[in-house]
Amino acid sequence: MSAARLEAFLAKIYVDEDSRERFLVDPRGEAAKAGLSEREIGALERIDRAGLILTAQSLQKKRRRPSGKKSNQI
Amino acid sequence: MTEIAKAWKNPIRDRVGLGWRRELAVGILSHLDQIDLVEVIADDFLDAPRGERRALRALAAQTTVVLHGVSLGLASSVPVKTKLLEKTARLCEEMNPEYWSEHLAFVRGGGVEIGHLTAPPRTDATIEGAASNLERARAVVGSAPLVENIATLIDPPGSDYDEIDWINRIIDSSSSDLLLDLHNLHANATNFGYDETEFLKGLPAERIVAVHLAGGKWVEALGERRLLDDHLHDVPDAVYRLLTELAAVVPHSLTVILERDGAYPPIEVLLRQLDHAREALAEGRLRQFEQIEKEAA
Repeated sequence: MSAARLEAFLAKIYVDEDSRERFLVDPRGEAAKAGLSEREIGALERIDRAGLILTAQSLQKKRRRPSGKKSNQI
Repeated sequence: MTEIAKAWKNPIRDRVGLGWRRELAVGILSHLDQIDLVEVIADDFLDAPRGERRALRALAAQTTVVLHGVSLGLASSVPVKTKLLEKTARLCEEMNPEYWSEHLAFVRGGGVEIGHLTAPPRTDATIEGAASNLERARAVVGSAPLVENIATLIDPPGSDYDEIDWINRIIDSSSSDLLLDLHNLHANATNFGYDETEFLKGLPAERIVAVHLAGGKWVEALGERRLLDDHLHDVPDAVYRLLTELAAVVPHSLTVILERDGAYPPIEVLLRQLDHAREALAEGRLRQFEQIEKEAA
């Protein structure tokens, strides 16, 4: 089930600004609170921070799209 | 006779089409003689009223339509929502598309809807999850989707595999063939520093059935630049070069779709990009033919 917990954790920090900010301040603490394994916590401590910020920005723009129509760009 | 030469005994008829978008409808419908097929976003019609679905059937009566899904979240350790699969099945039954496709992405987790395609950790868990989800999709819908590689701005944390190994393991463990998005490949190779041509060579050519083309732009954070696949810009030359490379090795007909999701230029500009794609394909096919001749000599 840890794989599902990691996906859930990623979904949260990609989408939720408060969660992301808390994570960037204390990656180990936030990942541990989510019940992730030591290996996953280590991976999150080494996260690609630029990639995380850009992913969050990109998702935010797409989630704001007024038409509500879906499209498949990333 | 080599496998390639054997395959060439069957005629190759590559097709080049365009993603169906409401804003492009008039341009597409008035130029169907120059557009071999259209790709419709399945999710736009899963809950569509009867009238819209009737319009879609009318479109399918005029040209070849294929369906493309964006919200199943196949590449996840979590099972795909049954309801979404059932809706996809109903749409496929109604439209009878030549094929349907989805992404190797996760789009939700722990009750959070990400709202878009996201790269999951590349692990055994997501390989097994994708294989299981693909089998369920095949069983419920009645045909296996083509699966598409996605672009990512982040190197997915917690990954154990390179992207190519991860994709190949999923393809190996499923009956799904590949819809190869060449701009996604180009963007990821650019962002994470690998050779895009080598990546292409590492994929099983016989499993690549369809291709996406698109464009993007540079974005920046913390002093790092990344190429974003935004579908709002023209197809760059690097992507056409990849298409030529692909056409030089794939031994069967390819279906190529140009995706444009906004900042729409006049339809003529998009038609020129379709022609550019046809030229790139022709160049690759010629190279393949010359290789066969050389082998036969």
